[in-house]
Amino acid sequence: MTDKDFDFTRRAFLDGVLKATAGAGVAAAAPWAVSAASAAPLSGDRVRLGVIGTGDRGRTLIRNILKTRNCAVAAVCDNFAPHLAKAQAIVGANVPAFADHRAMLDARGLDAVVIATPLDFHAPLAFDAFGAGLHVWCEKAMARTIADCSAMVKRSQDSAKVLQIGHQRMFHPTYLNALKRVKAGEIGPVTQIRASWHRNTSWRRPIPPGSTDRKINWRLYREASAGLMTELATHQLQVGNWFLDAVPTRVIGSGSICFWKDGREVYDHVALVYEYSDGRKFVYTSHLNNARYGCEEQIQGSKGTIEPELGRIYQEVPPKVLALQRMQEDVKRGHKRTVPIGGATWFPELPVTTPGDSLGWGEYDETMLQFEGFGEAVRAGKPLPGMLAQAYAASVASLLGEQAMDRGEAVTWPTDLIAV
Amino acid sequence: MSGVERFAAMGTRVELHLFGATGSDALAVARRAIEAVDDALTIHRPSATTALNASLMAGRSHAVDDPLLLAALIEIEAAHALTLGLFDPAADAARPGAGWNAIRVDRDAARIEAARPLALDFGGFGKGFALDQACDALRAAGVASAFLVAGESSIAVMGEHPLGGGWPVAIPDPLAPDQSLVELELRDAALSISSTLGAGAEAPGRAPMIRPNDGSCVTAARTAIAIDRRGSRAEMLSTALLVADAGQAMRLIAEAPAHRFLFNFSRTAAAVVQPREVVA
Ligand SMILES: NC(=O)c1ccc[n+]([C@@H]2O[C@H](COP(=O)([O-])OP(=O)(O)OC[C@H]3O[C@@H](n4cnc5c(N)ncnc54)[C@H](O)[C@@H]3O)[C@@H](O)[C@H]2O)c1
Repeated sequence: MTDKDFDFTRRAFLDGVLKATAGAGVAAAAPWAVSAASAAPLSGDRVRLGVIGTGDRGRTLIRNILKTRNCAVAAVCDNFAPHLAKAQAIVGANVPAFADHRAMLDARGLDAVVIATPLDFHAPLAFDAFGAGLHVWCEKAMARTIADCSAMVKRSQDSAKVLQIGHQRMFHPTYLNALKRVKAGEIGPVTQIRASWHRNTSWRRPIPPGSTDRKINWRLYREASAGLMTELATHQLQVGNWFLDAVPTRVIGSGSICFWKDGREVYDHVALVYEYSDGRKFVYTSHLNNARYGCEEQIQGSKGTIEPELGRIYQEVPPKVLALQRMQEDVKRGHKRTVPIGGATWFPELPVTTPGDSLGWGEYDETMLQFEGFGEAVRAGKPLPGMLAQAYAASVASLLGEQAMDRGEAVTWPTDLIAV
Repeated sequence: MSGVERFAAMGTRVELHLFGATGSDALAVARRAIEAVDDALTIHRPSATTALNASLMAGRSHAVDDPLLLAALIEIEAAHALTLGLFDPAADAARPGAGWNAIRVDRDAARIEAARPLALDFGGFGKGFALDQACDALRAAGVASAFLVAGESSIAVMGEHPLGGGWPVAIPDPLAPDQSLVELELRDAALSISSTLGAGAEAPGRAPMIRPNDGSCVTAARTAIAIDRRGSRAEMLSTALLVADAGQAMRLIAEAPAHRFLFNFSRTAAAVVQPREVVA
């Protein structure tokens, strides 16, 4: 892609975000996206980012940072040499590379760090970065414990530094469009979101020479991760809270190691119900041995359903009355026949299968936009409005779900969270 | 030229079929008319009716601001006696004694009050009333020929069949859907079917038909049919026929034998008619 082409798709993407957020209700419900997409012209010195953790995600983030107009990768850091080398190959030899984050912070020359390590390192690394006077961009989920999520929020507030968490759906034009249509009342009041992330994979990665199972497959071990909850469900819980415009009141759930009995410690099968005010619910399942229903959030209202991953909106249109369809055909061919119709009132019972309408696709760069927004937040010393509250609630919800499953009992929303 | 609109309203499906030259937005106007009735009369979400019910349950008189709700109340007030008091949106199995007789509608002041706590549930009336509003809107939009259905239990036809003459309609026998209970030729008319039989009647969560005089539920296997110029009246009459005792049914049918029918499918129940025999 030439620079001009890129500029064009970038502009089209930003226009898409701005268009989706133009409605009054949407601007209020996604203020971070409005701020990020309308920040212009992004001139001046680039915000210097030090990326810690250059595994799969870290390298994707680096590629997105390089696309931005206001951020630069000023250092990379990973304690596994082969991953650091891969990052260095992307950013070039003149960007300093570190095996230890302390050395990177001591070397100075950064405005912020980007954390893409296993989950259990998010909080300690963020604390060190705040301690060094830097802003922090950290991948979801926030931290391994609710206490650490709260501590991250607190440290960011105390140090007056921006803390932004990676939730790219919050910048995705399809989601923003979906939100706009919900706010316009097109699917009626949303009473339930049924979400799933179903995969058919062990989630195990091969262990390269020089590493260990626990280091590479950190997602499978409780010390480092809450498994499906923090790695996958966080994204969808964020969508749930966002579209229901609330945080859950409590959660019940059941988790098991059902299929992959390979020594892993985290559940490979989870099913939870998050309750919201007024009887609304977020019903969630995730597992690793059937991919038929994949990843989706079915946002259900009395007038319709939105499936943002598929990018479709469905109206609650009932099936045709067959006798009337026949009457239409008869009239068309000039044939008058008695219409057999009438009886007890028809009630909808069966699932309605209709193709639905598109919510609009495009070439998306929502991960890039997260960083442009972050860059502007760092420059202004002020976080993108509303973002951290969403991320904090999503991470807490995922960890609360883990607690509910571990204890086998309903767990209520914590009352001691930090006000964002 | 023809146009079809299909949508969910009033807890069921609605289909509007227009024939002949129609304005481009006639369907949309008719749909909005129906949705407006749904919005005003529903008790399943906050509406003018739930606000009114809150007042009546609390023993307060209520100013009816919503013009559709007021029009509905006035129609019911006017037709209550015609149904021998058998159509009663205030009847409630859980509240013996609650009924339309306890209600006073002050049409000029647009106020309603009740002598005892009660709540209104318009039930099927809403469907016929909504089709009336849609027909009025279509007529105003210049539509001359149309077939409107709400949940297959409420039908309204406008003008003539597009190929001339009346609209031929056959009401299927709920126990033998290949056969008909009755065949009718309709012109500018509304038809309402009330039945304790058929797939829809067995739907889960379906409210039973209640006899206003004693609050009991109709359990006999019956289908009642009423035809009237106005859908709202057809609904009230078919409901009345369904809950009527033998004498009441005879009286109602005798007033308009070609427009009111009652079928009794149960030999054990106090039958008005022999099984499968048309009372008309
Ligand atoms: N937003 C998304 O869609 C998305 C997608 C995938 C992953 N993620 C998140 O990104 C993070 C990383 O996931 P991943 O798939 O890239 O994992 P990964 O295992 O591929 O990469 C993690 C990297 O961090 C390095 N690392 C570990 N501890 C370190 C430390 N103390 N200092 C420096 N480097 C350290 C590891 O050597 C490894 O290279 C996780 O938090 C994950 O939830 C987010």
